[in-house]
Amino acid sequence: MGSIYAMIAVALTLSIGVINFLNFSIPGVFMVSAFVVWIVMQLTGSWLFAFLLALLVGGCLALLVERFTWSWLNNVDPFVPLVSSMAFLMLFENWALTMWGSDLKTLPSISAADVRIAGTVISLPQLAALLISISLAVALRFVLTQTPVGRALRTISEDKEVASILGINVNRTVRILFVVSALCAALAGILFSVSYRQVHPFMGEIIGLRGISAMVIGGMGNVWGAIIGGILIGLGEVAAINVFGADFVDIVIYGTLLLILTVKPEGLFGAPVSGRGRV
Amino acid sequence: MDKATILSLEQVTLKFSGLTVLKDLSFDIRQGSRTALIGPNGAGKTSVFNVVTGAYSPSSGAVRFRGHDITCMASRKRIRAGVARNFQNIRLMPHLTAIENVMIGQHSRGRGLLNALQPVALFPGNRWRREARDALASASLQKYERQLVGALPYGVQKRIELVRALQADPSLLLLDEPAAGLNLAEKHELAELLTRLLGEDDRTLLIVEHDMDFIGSLCEHVIVLNFGRKIAEGSCTSVRCDPVVQEAYLGASVHLERRGACCAS
Amino acid sequence: MSGYAGALLTLLAINVVFAYGTFLPMSAGQLNLGAAGFIAVGAYISAFLSNSGVPLYISIPCAAVFAGCLALIVSIPVLRTRGIYLALATFALGQVVQATFLNIPMFGGAAGYPVVEHINSFAIVCTAALVVAVSALIFATRFGISVVAIHDDERVADLMGLNTRAFQAAAFSLGAAVAGIGGALYAHHYSFIEAQQFGFGLSITAVLYVIFGGTQTIVGPLVGAAAFTLLPEIARASQEWRYVLFASVIICMMAVRPQGLVTRASLRRLFEGRARG
Repeated sequence: MGSIYAMIAVALTLSIGVINFLNFSIPGVFMVSAFVVWIVMQLTGSWLFAFLLALLVGGCLALLVERFTWSWLNNVDPFVPLVSSMAFLMLFENWALTMWGSDLKTLPSISAADVRIAGTVISLPQLAALLISISLAVALRFVLTQTPVGRALRTISEDKEVASILGINVNRTVRILFVVSALCAALAGILFSVSYRQVHPFMGEIIGLRGISAMVIGGMGNVWGAIIGGILIGLGEVAAINVFGADFVDIVIYGTLLLILTVKPEGLFGAPVSGRGRV
Repeated sequence: MDKATILSLEQVTLKFSGLTVLKDLSFDIRQGSRTALIGPNGAGKTSVFNVVTGAYSPSSGAVRFRGHDITCMASRKRIRAGVARNFQNIRLMPHLTAIENVMIGQHSRGRGLLNALQPVALFPGNRWRREARDALASASLQKYERQLVGALPYGVQKRIELVRALQADPSLLLLDEPAAGLNLAEKHELAELLTRLLGEDDRTLLIVEHDMDFIGSLCEHVIVLNFGRKIAEGSCTSVRCDPVVQEAYLGASVHLERRGACCAS
Repeated sequence: MSGYAGALLTLLAINVVFAYGTFLPMSAGQLNLGAAGFIAVGAYISAFLSNSGVPLYISIPCAAVFAGCLALIVSIPVLRTRGIYLALATFALGQVVQATFLNIPMFGGAAGYPVVEHINSFAIVCTAALVVAVSALIFATRFGISVVAIHDDERVADLMGLNTRAFQAAAFSLGAAVAGIGGALYAHHYSFIEAQQFGFGLSITAVLYVIFGGTQTIVGPLVGAAAFTLLPEIARASQEWRYVLFASVIICMMAVRPQGLVTRASLRRLFEGRARG
């Protein structure tokens, strides 16, 4: 489960890190991709097609969100894109709710194989999720540091205007960022639907919002931080269930988030939050 | 001393992560005086204001206002004590109208919960509102009264900021480059306005400026800073002729607007 | 008053109260993503009190005061954060509150909590009107310009002598108390509350009412809440599609007119136009 949170956290941290935008639609994308997998499985039973379509839909949604939250709103009060992204979340959730109702939908199992590691049993999909999320982090790290696109992204995060002066096509790069971030969320959605075999219109809220906690704990803007944050939240969940009981998980997780925000808002690996401004 | 010292800096040093902005700076300002603080860019003039108003705490040294040590006083209390300022790049509240910005300046004159609940917008005849209106009128700004300041011209905004600062009824007024960006005619108007507004009351003025003529028409005393230290102090003419001052400016390739006749070179 | 119109008006009134509960902190520059938490507090506490026999006109104010005090206490750590961190902190707070109520058996837990007393529509509309009137009154005082000043430029507001911490705590707590009133009204009209209703979705909805109506004026939240309670009815939208419609409109609105429907400038044009014409 931690790896699912990790991927969502990565998706979120990417847009926060580069363009300082907390994209609330990401939990929505997560949910929609999972739904797409379910729908395709209902209709065709082809896992491959389901995965591809889910990724495609995720990418398209990203472009849609980008169009309406970022493209047209360049020098406005920074909360406006945030609010728009929240509206998108509401849009996705309620659209799924109206189209398919509020009950839990189940998916067939992709593989019944289990793997035994160090005394715990992990299903193959869950193991795949873990491996995929780690490779994702490695891949992203590579892209951010080695490729021109990655360097462009890092420049934009420093200073958008300097980036455009340097010849970087800011708009196109930001669009790529949105798509990559949504694909991470879509991937998380796919993996979740496969591993846990259930989807629900509000899973974005329940699971995706925990991804926000993971992102903050790991440090906003830091990809490795997001991964580690996700894993910590996943472990924390399990620990909380064992210690306090399943009902208290949310309290523990969000209580921790609250604590971190007030005490050490930069999380584990983030940049220190600037204090009072200069006059 | 014929008049009491209203402000004194004693060996004030201000450092930011290794960079020394003010070094052992000491000077006294007499009550009722008009003093200019000049120096090349980066000399630390705005930092002096920031230390006096409490935006920054000095790394060492003390600031005394009317005899009291205010070095550790919270910044929000200083305006209540009588120190008001404007800002080099205008810092008005863009979502408030001109009259509301001015009323913000009045805030420090009241105390506590009752102050916060003064019905300033409810009754147009309200005393605070009338005062703010009159203040704007005295600076010929009454037509901007109900307009949001964000859209107003630069010169107008600067004057509104001045009025706002004065509404706090300060005994010490700190003005940071109030004439910057104004043309000659506007500068004359500003000097006249200031003389008029400060005239009757015994307010002390400390002003950061570059235009020596503007300073000459307003101030009788000048303090010169360079690299955070005081390098000269005196009347306008004596400072203009001071070789140390000239070197500071010429060396930094910023020149004074006009040299006095006494300066041969 | 016909049953349908009455129900609609009641819903509108409650939404208006929710909107003002979110508007108060937002006017001071605090994006409150946890309003649902304080709404829940108001709902449960007032329900508990009235179920225990306390008369309504005591239990509701008590609940509001409780919500306000809770906000005040929590504001001590939370208001040390700014901007996005503050928004997230309020979000976390809302989630914690919701999860807490979900787990208190005394309040019915996940099964929900029935409420015995009932408030009729008229009383609710009156209360909402009162909330709007009091908010408008408060905003017509120095408090109103002070919080906008703090929203615009906290540093300079502080230098101008405003006790920024105090004002922000006041805005936050007042907002919470108003949200609590809304929750109490909700509980006593629909006679049943469950913790699942008070989640992030509700917080977002309240925020969107305010953003749609406009954060600059005291009238904005009213317009926003009214638009979204009444328009879907006029458009005969079904219950489910209502939120989709709402979200879509917000998205378009943010792209076209991010300052919201009612701004200070538009309000002035409206009144000056009338005076002249």
